[in-house]
Amino acid sequence: MTRDARILLVDDEVSIQRAVVPLLRSRGYEVDVAGTGEEALKLVADRTPDLMVLDLGLPDLEGTEVCRRVRAVSRLPIVVLSARGAEADKVNALDLGADDYVTKPFGPEELLARIRVALRRVQSEQDAKTGLFRAGDLTIDYDRHRVLVGETEIRLTPKEFDLLSLLARNHDRVLTHRTILKAIWGPNAVEQPEHLWTLVAQLRKKIEPDPASPQFLLSEPWVGYRFSTGRSDP
Amino acid sequence: MSPGRSTVWRLAAGLAAVVLITLTYTKWLHVSNPAILSATYLMVVLVVAATSRLWVAVVTSFAAVLSFNFFFLPPVGTFTIADPQNWVVLFAFLAVSLVASNLSAVARARTQEAVGRRDELARLFDLSRDVLMMTQSREAIATLARSIARRFDIAFVAIALPRESGWDISEAGLRTIVLDEGQLTAAFAAAQTSLEFDAYARTYAGHRTMTIGADTIRLVPLRAATRPVGLLAAAGRPLEPGTLDALAGVVALAIERARFLEERKSAELTRQSEELKTALLASLGHDLRTPLTAIRVAASNVKASWLSPEARNEQSDLIVAEVERLTRLFQNILDMARIDAGAVATESRWAHPSEIIAAARDQVEHALRNHRLMVHVDRDVPVRLDPRLTAAALAHLLENAAHYSPAGTAIDVAAEIVDEGLSIRVRDHGPGIAAADLPHLFERFYRGAETKGRVSGTGMGLSIARGLLAVEHGRIWAENCPDGGATFTILVQAKTREPEAAASPVA
Repeated sequence: MTRDARILLVDDEVSIQRAVVPLLRSRGYEVDVAGTGEEALKLVADRTPDLMVLDLGLPDLEGTEVCRRVRAVSRLPIVVLSARGAEADKVNALDLGADDYVTKPFGPEELLARIRVALRRVQSEQDAKTGLFRAGDLTIDYDRHRVLVGETEIRLTPKEFDLLSLLARNHDRVLTHRTILKAIWGPNAVEQPEHLWTLVAQLRKKIEPDPASPQFLLSEPWVGYRFSTGRSDP
Repeated sequence: MSPGRSTVWRLAAGLAAVVLITLTYTKWLHVSNPAILSATYLMVVLVVAATSRLWVAVVTSFAAVLSFNFFFLPPVGTFTIADPQNWVVLFAFLAVSLVASNLSAVARARTQEAVGRRDELARLFDLSRDVLMMTQSREAIATLARSIARRFDIAFVAIALPRESGWDISEAGLRTIVLDEGQLTAAFAAAQTSLEFDAYARTYAGHRTMTIGADTIRLVPLRAATRPVGLLAAAGRPLEPGTLDALAGVVALAIERARFLEERKSAELTRQSEELKTALLASLGHDLRTPLTAIRVAASNVKASWLSPEARNEQSDLIVAEVERLTRLFQNILDMARIDAGAVATESRWAHPSEIIAAARDQVEHALRNHRLMVHVDRDVPVRLDPRLTAAALAHLLENAAHYSPAGTAIDVAAEIVDEGLSIRVRDHGPGIAAADLPHLFERFYRGAETKGRVSGTGMGLSIARGLLAVEHGRIWAENCPDGGATFTILVQAKTREPEAAASPVA
């Protein structure tokens, strides 16, 4: 990194600010703080942060609304803090362009890990479109539509390959069921998650060393799926 | 049938009129034209017949015929009737008196019936008004039985409603009769299987009587629509079957109404408790998670080696503050549960108003750190109340004032001894209370629509303050000050020590 990444923390709870700001600074991030949605939008424009940590329960704007407005102008990664425990809010935020979420109460390492992954993903975004992708034993050759586990080539149906490359391109990030269904089956399929369950199960059988306890294709219950490279923690 | 007093008087008046006419015509006027005489006598007979009973009219007409015969018909001075035409006069008199008194008897009977009907209608109307006024559903049926007994002058009224086994009987009236449940069950079973309308008596069939000792009790099925829901039993003054039916109709309506009220109440309660649960969970979710997150992150920060001593201090302060916040939340939940369970005990003792305010301030010191508390105590003499509850309630008001007014502003606390006891006023310099929020301010979990997002809080504080004060028979209310800001006042009943006694040291 040429400069320290700048993080914008958006949370109206002073106690959260007081605990999280020193945590982030101690890891070498520059930190700006906003207590309201409007303030956050202003800081996004003025300070061009590299990442936003956004609490969904803001006093003035819905957190999801902040997500939507930020996405309209920027590819800035957004990690959502949700104190509500309600999956619907997270899914909404993710569908509106948030990259990941952490549920309150969270531990410091959990938050730091999500931030690291989100920052790294941006950097690797350009080389993700083509070439080779490696995670553990798994190699994906996007150009030749080939997948290898170790030295063995795995035969995937076109849909399976689409799903795998979609998740791998967004590796370490949650994709909601809705996002995946829309990307692979089109907008009319978003209400039919059973397609996705079946496809994920087939894919796991082919690429996972132990399909019963998957290592790459992880479920985020009631939210979506995440392709884990196992690199979220340094 | 013994003649009533008024009947005797009418008879006397009729006879007196006959004597008077006789005297007038014989002694003073010396009229002897039979047509005039008979017309005059006939008038008396007619008047008597129209206003009194038949036998009075008959006696009066005999007196008139005899007087006419004796004093005026030849041969005068005897009862002999020489001219057979005079028999006709006698029969005419009798016929007129018979017809007239019959007509008047019918008219009187009609009037009486109408009056009775009107009377019963009025009673029924009063009764239905009683029914509509009934709100407390548990007591409703007993109250209804009492109103029937009172309004209809019935010696015994019972409303019997079937239960799973046996009967729920609400009785009223001067007499006490123990109803036979077996007969009630039989009558009810009959009412369940048949529904006939007696077109002649204009009443539903199914009226029964039951005899207990010397009493004859009339049983009328209570029907909601056509389905029987119970029985009405009445003894004492006889009532028309139609009246009984109308009565039973009103009672059935009342029972249905009581049931609806009860159902609505329980539905309302269920809904409220569901709402409370949802609100509690939502608010607890947020209010627990935030401090827990702060504590968890701050605790790891303290452990980390990279922190400067000042930063470490700051993190540990944060932990203490957040633990305090959790403690207060926990205390609130406990208080609320204790208020709900009726487990708040009062313990009165002598205390100075200034002590109470200081105690309240200590409890919420943390929340007040950004505000200036301006305390004014009018007369700091000991008052007798529960200082613990009063201080706890006041603490909630202080916390509330601090939450809803900008940092750096003052909060005025004024204590005053008034006639009823101790009044403490908390005044903030915030935006005041929105008109829409005023009526709901003290409801549990109610959060002002405007401030909901901006100010964190659980909506428990004011409702707890109210709950605590209710235990002390105190009151609490809120108002907006004309020059901005809100004022909350608590008023607790308390005895005050006389000024000279107050001078002595307080134990």
